[in-house]
Amino acid sequence: MKILVAIKHVIDVELNIKVKDGQLDLEGLQYVMSAWDENAVEEAVALKESHDAETVVISIGSDDATVSIRKAFAMGIDAGIHVSDPNLRYPDSLTVAKIINGVRQDKNFDLILLGRQAQDTDNGLTAGLLAEIADLPFVANATKIEVIDEKKLKVTRQADIGKEVIELSLPAVISVNDSINEPRLASLKGIMQAKKKTIETMDAGLLGIDSGEASLVEVMEFLPPVARAQGQKFDGDAQEITEKVVGLLINEAKVL
Amino acid sequence: MEDFLHLNDLLTDEEKIIRETLRKFVDEEVTPLMPSAFERGEFPKKLIMRMAELDLFGMTLPAQYGGAEAGYVSYGLACQELERGDSGLRSFVSVQSSLCMFPIFAFGSEEQKQKYLKPMSEGRIIGCFGLTEPDSGSDPSSMRTRAKKAKGGWLLNGSKLWITNAPIADLAIVWAMTEEGIRGFLIEKATEGFFRNPIEGKLSLRASSTGELVMEDCFISDDQLLPGTDKGLSAALSCLTQARYGIAWGAMGAARDCYERALSYLMERTQFGRPLASFQLIQKDLSEMFNEILKAQMLNYRIGRLKEEKKDNYVMASLAKMNGCKEALKIARMARNLLGANGISLDYHIIRHMANLESVFTYEGTDNIHHLTIGRYLTGLSAFT
Ligand SMILES: Cc1cc2nc3c(=O)[nH]c(=O)nc-3n(C[C@H](O)[C@H](O)[C@H](O)COP(=O)(O)OP(=O)(O)OC[C@H]3O[C@@H](n4cnc5c(N)ncnc54)[C@H](O)[C@@H]3O)c2cc1C
Repeated sequence: MKILVAIKHVIDVELNIKVKDGQLDLEGLQYVMSAWDENAVEEAVALKESHDAETVVISIGSDDATVSIRKAFAMGIDAGIHVSDPNLRYPDSLTVAKIINGVRQDKNFDLILLGRQAQDTDNGLTAGLLAEIADLPFVANATKIEVIDEKKLKVTRQADIGKEVIELSLPAVISVNDSINEPRLASLKGIMQAKKKTIETMDAGLLGIDSGEASLVEVMEFLPPVARAQGQKFDGDAQEITEKVVGLLINEAKVL
Repeated sequence: MEDFLHLNDLLTDEEKIIRETLRKFVDEEVTPLMPSAFERGEFPKKLIMRMAELDLFGMTLPAQYGGAEAGYVSYGLACQELERGDSGLRSFVSVQSSLCMFPIFAFGSEEQKQKYLKPMSEGRIIGCFGLTEPDSGSDPSSMRTRAKKAKGGWLLNGSKLWITNAPIADLAIVWAMTEEGIRGFLIEKATEGFFRNPIEGKLSLRASSTGELVMEDCFISDDQLLPGTDKGLSAALSCLTQARYGIAWGAMGAARDCYERALSYLMERTQFGRPLASFQLIQKDLSEMFNEILKAQMLNYRIGRLKEEKKDNYVMASLAKMNGCKEALKIARMARNLLGANGISLDYHIIRHMANLESVFTYEGTDNIHHLTIGRYLTGLSAFT
């Protein structure tokens, strides 16, 4: 099985993100692999360990996305592709989907794994758009992937009405939920060996995509998140606190 | 903490990944355990195997001896992240890597390296380093532990005190005076005439195990002498130079944790109708903490690169250790104060860091001793005695 995992190198949202003049203030920020993509990488590596798959990651965007590609190597991924282009610093989901599809066609992947959404934009569009463009079957928000045979997977997803179990024929696209696995921490030896692997760089133009015109969506302005109002702290014994809080929820917040 | 000086731009991809990986390890697997480990006065032993899996022991050594061949900036970043969790955890890694694996690598015979280094990197053999004695601390050349030549080996008599990991170690590197000067010996825990006792009642580094080593007519065969230690005390001190470099980074890890916790607390906590962070006196403290962390990190980083280029010396390690520990302790005390009563609670972590840093300030050369080392370098005049 040939697996392509799409990973996004995103601003570490655990840090305080500031907005200046309608733009993100990028000074002093750090970047990490988007959390759901780590689940996708882990799933690919687990499939490789149990079923002898070939695993490749692709990341699109800024030069330092190589950090996330190397982190995927350190977790056990075999090869990496970096599509770098100054116009692609903040591509929209459709452009990303087109590029992934271009690479998919070029290299014949059986399975494309993605996180269910990116940690920075929370859009959750890329996987669905990719499946549509590529005309492939798609399971969103998977919580379990099992191999039936070379051409078939059994995929579980969590829906509001209960668990859905889907038989999926390959090639296919799957986006994963964070409950699918616990991404491993790379060992130092893995990280040091990842340094020696080469990353293939590709040009969006070669895939027939004009990165200058590609994005249909332009973000006009960022607004800072509204500061959280000061909370209230209640001291005393449990009985008293409960009465007080329930009273406030009924009379002030009017939610009960 | 934001990357104000763009230190990130100076790091390689693998250094960034190591830092991020260990940050996650500490946040998810270490910090939650530490308040109760500190309170119980126990090292959380399950972390030993986890750290071995992550290749944290002897990480700068060559692969043939179980190392990860990481650079010194990577080692520093690792120490910094680990000590964000607890100084005891970083102490464990410093002792295992810099004080035990390093001397075996640098001064050991090939057989000794083959026998010990790989199992040590895998966490299967825990080491400890015995230099300090009840009557010999800052002045190790006054040590009383003696090694007398005997048939096929040596007879050791004496004791070592304040030895990190002594109660849990499988192997001790013990420094003893011979007729030719100070030498290092490898003593396995089951050796006859070798005893270990834990130290109770510490109020600092409680989550690290500390103890005493006693040698009573303890016979050590010739092949357990570290042959390269024929340089005497300077061999022991070169191990300390390695460890001090890591401590300089580590101390800033603890300092950063205190600063970050204090900053977010002060932004949320309101007194006199305003967030505490809005008061001038509080901002003065915050800006001083921020300033000292940035300065220390740049110093540590530069020395790390110099170590990688083999252009460092022991005075640099003294400088970084002195600066890192002194400033970290000040930052921890400031943060402790800024949290008011909550500052003394284990739940808020700062008091634990503060108490730990008292040991870190003292061990591996006290603050005074590092001032004397730097003073001797500047003047050519020794003021030790
Ligand atoms: C938790 C912990 C773990 C430790 N782990 C280890 C370990 O694993 N292995 C090991 O060998 N040791 C270890 N030590 C011991 C540590 O290295 C010593 O405590 C340290 O070197 C200081 O020695 P001392 O305690 O005997 O103090 P002393 O040397 O007695 O010093 C007492 C005070 O006098 C000052 N002083 C001494 N000489 C001078 C001078 N000439 N001029 C001015 N001031 C001076 C010192 O700065 C200090 O403030 C550990 C200590 C602690 C607390």
